[in-house]
Amino acid sequence: MIEVTALRKRFDGGSVICYSDLRFETGKSYVLLGASGCGKSTLLNLIAGVLTPSEGSVVVDGVNLSGETQRRKDAFRVAHIGYVFQDFKLIEEMSVEDNIGILALERVDTSHIDDVLNALGILKLKKRRVARLSGGEKQRVAIARALVKRPDIILADEPTGNLNYAIGRTIMEELIAAAKGRTLICVTHDDRLAGLFDERLDMNDIASSIEEGGDMHV
Amino acid sequence: MFKFALKNMAVRKSRLLLVVLSIVISAGVALLSYNVAQQVSEGIVSTAAYYDMIIGPSGSATQLAMNTMFFTDEPLGTIPYSYVEELRASGLTNAVVPFTMGDSFNSARIVGTTPEFLEGKSLAAGGMFAEVFEAVVGAQVAKTYGLGVGDSIITSHGLNTAGTQHDASPLTVVGILKTTGTAYDNAVFTSYRTVWAVHGSEEHGHDDDDDDGDEAHEGEVCAILVRSKGFNEYYRLSAYYGGNAQLLCINPSTVLREVLDQVDLSARIVYLLCGIILVMNILVISVVTLLNLFDARKEIALMRLIGISMKRIAQLYLIQNGITGLMAVVLAMLLSHGCLGFMSRFVASMGIVLSAWAIYPLEWTIAALVFVISVLPTMISILHMSTKEGL
Repeated sequence: MIEVTALRKRFDGGSVICYSDLRFETGKSYVLLGASGCGKSTLLNLIAGVLTPSEGSVVVDGVNLSGETQRRKDAFRVAHIGYVFQDFKLIEEMSVEDNIGILALERVDTSHIDDVLNALGILKLKKRRVARLSGGEKQRVAIARALVKRPDIILADEPTGNLNYAIGRTIMEELIAAAKGRTLICVTHDDRLAGLFDERLDMNDIASSIEEGGDMHV
Repeated sequence: MFKFALKNMAVRKSRLLLVVLSIVISAGVALLSYNVAQQVSEGIVSTAAYYDMIIGPSGSATQLAMNTMFFTDEPLGTIPYSYVEELRASGLTNAVVPFTMGDSFNSARIVGTTPEFLEGKSLAAGGMFAEVFEAVVGAQVAKTYGLGVGDSIITSHGLNTAGTQHDASPLTVVGILKTTGTAYDNAVFTSYRTVWAVHGSEEHGHDDDDDDGDEAHEGEVCAILVRSKGFNEYYRLSAYYGGNAQLLCINPSTVLREVLDQVDLSARIVYLLCGIILVMNILVISVVTLLNLFDARKEIALMRLIGISMKRIAQLYLIQNGITGLMAVVLAMLLSHGCLGFMSRFVASMGIVLSAWAIYPLEWTIAALVFVISVLPTMISILHMSTKEGL
């Protein structure tokens, strides 16, 4: 379970995003919907420990990540969180296999890589360089990398943002199927995909931004 | 980890090649320029240190030193051979070697002397000259003119090929020197008595233009090379012969050091250029490393996002940059010393010895500096990134 309490993130320009208290149940899939700039990706990054909250806390399965050092947060992310990015975050020059195998540097067991690639229909691309893949194939590789370590939590930031709707929907379905039994929090601005998830959270309801010393915007 | 580092380098072959190449060329030039400067300076001084005194007719000290040490320039003239006997009889010397020069075989100069002059040099074939009209030829002379033991050579009057040939007095090759990488390779050595005999028998056959007055006739030598028994003996001899207005008595090391000092401005310019080259090389290496770092930072950020710890990332880049730096440094050393070996062939005839195997302590320092420059910026950047909170 992920518990978000009194979470605030202050940015250099003086703007602050404030989040309502939230609970994400284990084994359920959530979709965060909202327009660009409303704090969807920031919330994911705060949960993943990529960003440090200015105030409040993120507690994952009883561990308060907000109070931990960056090294501990990195270690926690490797062990428990699979992260899928909109722009894939793959090393273009390397092969599919090596992009996933890189996790072995952190002693992640990647021995079942073929099963994961097979489930996503990209086993035949295993030896191919990422630079030679299509956008849809790259996103499947990114999902495979997130899944190969069998994480408790999967965070996906606009995983279909760079793809057309048909391919995007297919990939989203594959992601939800692969994440069965785990906590999945997915950010998207595409309302048409929201029906695929167990729970829908509208950013307008859970986040507000203020300028420090100024008015609050919901 | 090591396997992954190698894979990561392998997928960037072209960039890696460019990085290594730019470092190799930059560092190679720096290493080469430093090594050449050192070897030339040391080589001149060590060659001169073989004898502590040279006595010749009055004139230019530099000319006397260069003529007897490196067989360049013209002899100053002649002095009586009786000085050789006088020096030997003095009991103050360990070696007294007469030196005459005046003839040539094609482009090779004929040095009339005693076998002592070739002390320390090895023979590739045959033996040392013992009789009049016997000669030992330098390795390059033998190679260029296809000479072997038993062959005859016709020498010419004067130090260029335009002189009258001594057809009636051919020399017989009795030995061939091993390659020395010095001016000895391009000279022919015979007894000073051979020079006397050639000029004595053909004295009346020369054109007036040929006779420049510097050649040694019977009872004359161009110079005497002396190794005294010690400091006291050296100063006694120096005082005695230095006081003779007809003679020039020099210490070759001192003269050549003075020559080096006189060309100090040139040397300073050369060193300044070497310094500029070194600074430019450091800049080139730094720019290449920083450009690499720019790419590396993106990759490091990506790896951190997917959860690779900074410790692992640091290890990975240390291996990658370490291998790159090490490869570049080793290749730069090989390049600079390969060039030294190549250059040594061309400068040997000028009396400059360049050894491809000579390595100076500062070269290791330059190599270490290059290695550090190729590794350090990325490691500092990783350290900086690791201390930042958030990603």
